[in-house]
Amino acid sequence: MNWRKLNNVLHRDLGYLAAGLTLVYAISGVALNHRHQWNPSWKLVVEERTFAPVPVSDRETMAAALVERLGLPGPPKSSFRSAPHLVELFYEGWSVKADATAGTATIERPRGRFALREMNFLHLNEPKGLWTWAADAYAVVLGFLAVTGLFVLKGKNGLAGRGKWLAGLGVLLPILALFLLLWRPGDSGPRGEGEGNGGGRHRGDGRAEAGPER
Amino acid sequence: MKTTLRTTLAAALLAALAATPAAAATKYGKGVSEATPVRLSELMAKPDAYVGKVVKVEGLITEVCAKRGCWIDVAGDVEFQKIRIKVEDGVIVFPMTDKGKKVVAEGTFKKTELTKEQAIAKAKHECEEKGTKFDPASVTGPATVYQIQGTGAVVD
Repeated sequence: MNWRKLNNVLHRDLGYLAAGLTLVYAISGVALNHRHQWNPSWKLVVEERTFAPVPVSDRETMAAALVERLGLPGPPKSSFRSAPHLVELFYEGWSVKADATAGTATIERPRGRFALREMNFLHLNEPKGLWTWAADAYAVVLGFLAVTGLFVLKGKNGLAGRGKWLAGLGVLLPILALFLLLWRPGDSGPRGEGEGNGGGRHRGDGRAEAGPER
Repeated sequence: MKTTLRTTLAAALLAALAATPAAAATKYGKGVSEATPVRLSELMAKPDAYVGKVVKVEGLITEVCAKRGCWIDVAGDVEFQKIRIKVEDGVIVFPMTDKGKKVVAEGTFKKTELTKEQAIAKAKHECEEKGTKFDPASVTGPATVYQIQGTGAVVD
């Protein structure tokens, strides 16, 4: 078997192997890119309720009264008051915020977004441990696919032909993006977090984010 | 061949499941040191004494950033008191299901003076994160905000 045939066989078979995980990382990547606009893993299901007001007393008494008036499934795992009349009850995976004197309550149930929650779980390496090694191995395979992909074809459609221009463009685009995003006239070096952008946090758009850290 | 492949995949799956600890405490970021925790009531009674210092606190998670999981509010030993622990976006992501769980967290205690306009912007941003209606009248003037720039946490 000559080297190009071996290259193509490896590219094909590793490509099949990596296809599933590439889709996971691609879909999750788009979702995570927009996390300033939404929570890509969770959504909050909110239910508004009303009840006969509960007089302000100690937290335990108020919590017990709220459980009864809202028909909640038993005492909460924990509770908290941010003000004498504002009681929060915490159950496993969901919670209740009640204004005891106004007689209004909000029940909040976080729900994982279908499939995205699991994809992001893997993409963000939340399981750690063995998955770290699996993700590292996948990254190595992806790098290998990129290199072997350059040599799949020969001739005018190969690397020696149009391939060199397209591959060159692929390298040039991130360099150009970095130049446009990080350099400004008069800079002595590239901008990094907290330097050269007014001391504020780096937003990724070259501007400092004003105001307090939130 | 097919049997061997199936057996290998099943063994790998079992090994992965066996390596996953069941219902253990979850460590975020760098976790926490062995330092003695500071009571939240102590921290809030003399905040300026702790500004710039690394503090470790423990308490109940009462709120999680609904958009990015980039902060948690922690209630301590005294009622009506809580502090925000802000973590670097994407480095630590608290899931919304952590609400109501016990946490030990560590980080640098920070003080921020807000003008009225900044306080309004902050309150508005928080309402947007929660998806609730913002009332500008709820902010009456400049504010001083204390929070912990968190480096790690352990959630039970």
